[in-house]
Amino acid sequence: MRNAIEFTVRGVFAMFTDPLTKLGGEKCSYQVPTYEALKGITKSIYWKPTLIWVIDRVRIMNPIQTQTRGIKPLNYGGGNDLAIYTFLSKVEYQVQAHFEWNEFREELSADRIDGKHYEMALRAVERGGRQDVFLGTRDCQGYVEPCKFGSGSGEYDNRAEISWGLMFHGFDYPDEIGKPEFRARFWIPKMEKGVINFVAPSECEVRKFIREMHPKHFTEGSTFRNVKEGMDQ
Amino acid sequence: MSWIQELNKTYDKALKGVSIQQDAPLLPICHTTQNAHIEVTLDGSGSFLRARALSKDERQTVIPCTETSASRSGRKPVSHPLADKLQYVAGDFLDYGGEVTSGYADNPGDPHESYLELLQAWVKNDPQPKTNAVLRYVKKKRLIKDLIAHYVLPVDSKGKLPRTIDAELKKKYPALSNLVGKELPDSIFIRWAVELGTGAPDASLSNDRNILDSWIMFYENSKEKYGMCFVTGADGVLLAEQHPAKIRNSGDKAKLISSNDTSGFTFRGRFLDADQACGVGFEVSQKAHNALRWLIQRQGLRSDDLTVVSWTTSGKKIPSPLLNTQEMIDQALRELGVLPTADESEIAHGHPDNSDYGQTFALRLRKMVAGYTVTLGPTDGVIVMALDSATPGRMAITYYRELTGSEFLTRLQRWHSKVAWPLPLSTKDTFTDTESTRVRVVWIPCAPSPRDVAESAFGRRITEKLMKATQERMLSCIIDNAPVPQDLVERCIHRASNRAGFKNNIEWQKAIGIACALYKGSNNERSYSMALEPERRSRDYLYGRLLAIAEHIEARALYVGGEDRDTNAAKLMQRFADHPFSTWRIIEGGLTPYKTRLQSRRAPFLHQMKVLLDDVHSLFVTAEFNSDNRLSGEYLLGYHCQRLELRKKADVVEDEDKSVNINDNEEKGE
Repeated sequence: MRNAIEFTVRGVFAMFTDPLTKLGGEKCSYQVPTYEALKGITKSIYWKPTLIWVIDRVRIMNPIQTQTRGIKPLNYGGGNDLAIYTFLSKVEYQVQAHFEWNEFREELSADRIDGKHYEMALRAVERGGRQDVFLGTRDCQGYVEPCKFGSGSGEYDNRAEISWGLMFHGFDYPDEIGKPEFRARFWIPKMEKGVINFVAPSECEVRKFIREMHPKHFTEGSTFRNVKEGMDQ
Repeated sequence: MSWIQELNKTYDKALKGVSIQQDAPLLPICHTTQNAHIEVTLDGSGSFLRARALSKDERQTVIPCTETSASRSGRKPVSHPLADKLQYVAGDFLDYGGEVTSGYADNPGDPHESYLELLQAWVKNDPQPKTNAVLRYVKKKRLIKDLIAHYVLPVDSKGKLPRTIDAELKKKYPALSNLVGKELPDSIFIRWAVELGTGAPDASLSNDRNILDSWIMFYENSKEKYGMCFVTGADGVLLAEQHPAKIRNSGDKAKLISSNDTSGFTFRGRFLDADQACGVGFEVSQKAHNALRWLIQRQGLRSDDLTVVSWTTSGKKIPSPLLNTQEMIDQALRELGVLPTADESEIAHGHPDNSDYGQTFALRLRKMVAGYTVTLGPTDGVIVMALDSATPGRMAITYYRELTGSEFLTRLQRWHSKVAWPLPLSTKDTFTDTESTRVRVVWIPCAPSPRDVAESAFGRRITEKLMKATQERMLSCIIDNAPVPQDLVERCIHRASNRAGFKNNIEWQKAIGIACALYKGSNNERSYSMALEPERRSRDYLYGRLLAIAEHIEARALYVGGEDRDTNAAKLMQRFADHPFSTWRIIEGGLTPYKTRLQSRRAPFLHQMKVLLDDVHSLFVTAEFNSDNRLSGEYLLGYHCQRLELRKKADVVEDEDKSVNINDNEEKGE
């Protein structure tokens, strides 16, 4: 079954927030995108609850540069604060991802049609995505184009391995793991010749349980309906 | 990012080589520094022996603290466990008219009670003889009584602590000398020393490893929050509930990791409270913050709120990125001693700038880099970090780079070679025979520091905020090889062209030097040389040269005539930059009377200058010469190089004419 797509995403700013700095409000970005951020970009391109996107690898094309901006974040009780955010600037990534069926959604098993979602995803990539693409946070706009992974020359093509410490990988949402738990995963990324190969979510060793959460259930008729039904109307 | 892991590594490595008694101590975890005023010495059974006021050098003390007491502030500050202010340690504080902090006004005995409670719990958990002695003495509640009886603290007529301190009282009671302004004796900070007898040589509690470890163990055992640490990935570790402040200086309330921001939208949404969003191990947090504090004190550069610090995890020396070349080389000489000789032939071939200036500069730079390379190992990593705060309570990491040692040095070298230009720097000459010093201005090829660039672009009276922002922008140019911001280059050029805007000549010449340096740096591909390039035919360069020659002729003529005016060229410089062709006609026309004067009195000199003018004219492409378009910053390069060249020549020519070199007079400032 064909299920892999490749695209390039670029933007002027990116913010893949480091959780340590997130709480204090003075957000600082990681130097490379997290699995979850890339999964979010892929989901913005095309997604249905039938499938789960798995990011295989990402290639970093531009040199990693940061830029700080002063921000006036809002307070919960009204008024605003002052903060300094450190964004990544002028980013471009080539991403290779594939989707798998979400086995925990039995109610959507009729939708696991070979070719349907793949074709729709390809079309969505060509059009730059169905929904707004953003790089980490909503205020960092991104633009998606189809591409061949590995084409063009990147800044780090000839670099030996660069590795970072423990970094956030992604969240385990209850509808994708089958348990009513919300967890965070961590891993230690390594970039070889500009490419980071992600480990699969199930293979992440470090996990933190956050809280209990329940998945949303889809029932035909109330939360989704059959295409034929819509056409009749 | 791994800044917190790197700081941890730095802490562990540094701890082996650093003692506590130092100006900038590397603190053990759960401890902080505080300036104490009085040291009270007790004996092993808790009896008062003596007390003394501490002199300025002795005041800094390492004291144990809890998470809350380390970052205490506000109207109800929490007490430290061992050494603290009078309202906490003295049981008879209220009897002597002491005023507690306003938050405790309802229950004035509270500070002392809570202090006693904590100290008792600690001593009960681990009865060390020194802390036991302190506890027994504090329970007696006669600290102030003893201090007054031993003439360390004054009393007023009513037998209470005085409410006003005048200079005379300060002289009589040296313990009060550190109080500032309207501070009362209530703010006196006490530290303890316990003499256990002949067996124990060191009476102080802050140097005693047993006491430090005892507190660390007790405090860690008393905390109950366990969870996963986001830094190490280990589960079930003790978590920090509050993170340390006082990172940049002891009055700094800003925190790097703030852990409970419920007033904003920082973690709301998927997370219901702060613990779900992030957790850092207690030891990791303490070590990392202590290491950062220590590094900033030792080798951080501060500008308003911005702090830039660069270090190696192994603690070896590296050059500081925000200095100009001369300062950097001075620092290298201080830190490394003699620099090794670099391979001279390598420099001659490798460096495109083959002028004298260029060669000596490259040589000095290479020597310096070689000096550092010798000490840095191949695996030594360098970290450059910049911290800034928008609000007083929180700090942001505005810049963070991890590089290998060799990469760091290479980038620094590349930056310094890129923007090097002869700048007027002052050197001190000390005369050993008369023991006097003279400050002299010499032209040294040097890359300007971000501070120099900011002052040159915005003027001397630049605001601190602008200075800080400029330094941060330039940091990226230095380390990341980002292009020099064009607006800074343009500003520098514009300011340098306006000679009338400078108070003295040296400042103006420095501004020109920095403008040239930046222009050269942002047009690196044209490879300008620091010395005059007689073959360069670009329009702006040649126009700059013409201006310099005309100025030289006129200046000599004015000197010969004994007149003290500005030259036409100097007055018209700004206009020349905007409309070179038409202004040149004015300047050249104005030279005629001066040429006549020189014809009679300095004929050989005039002849030389005429030949030079003709040479430069012939290098022009006619169409370019006739155009009146604005000059880019390149004209300053031509102008400056020609000036320096003429200065050198002036020595030779004037010797022939047997008169004093007037260019020295020019340089002395007007």
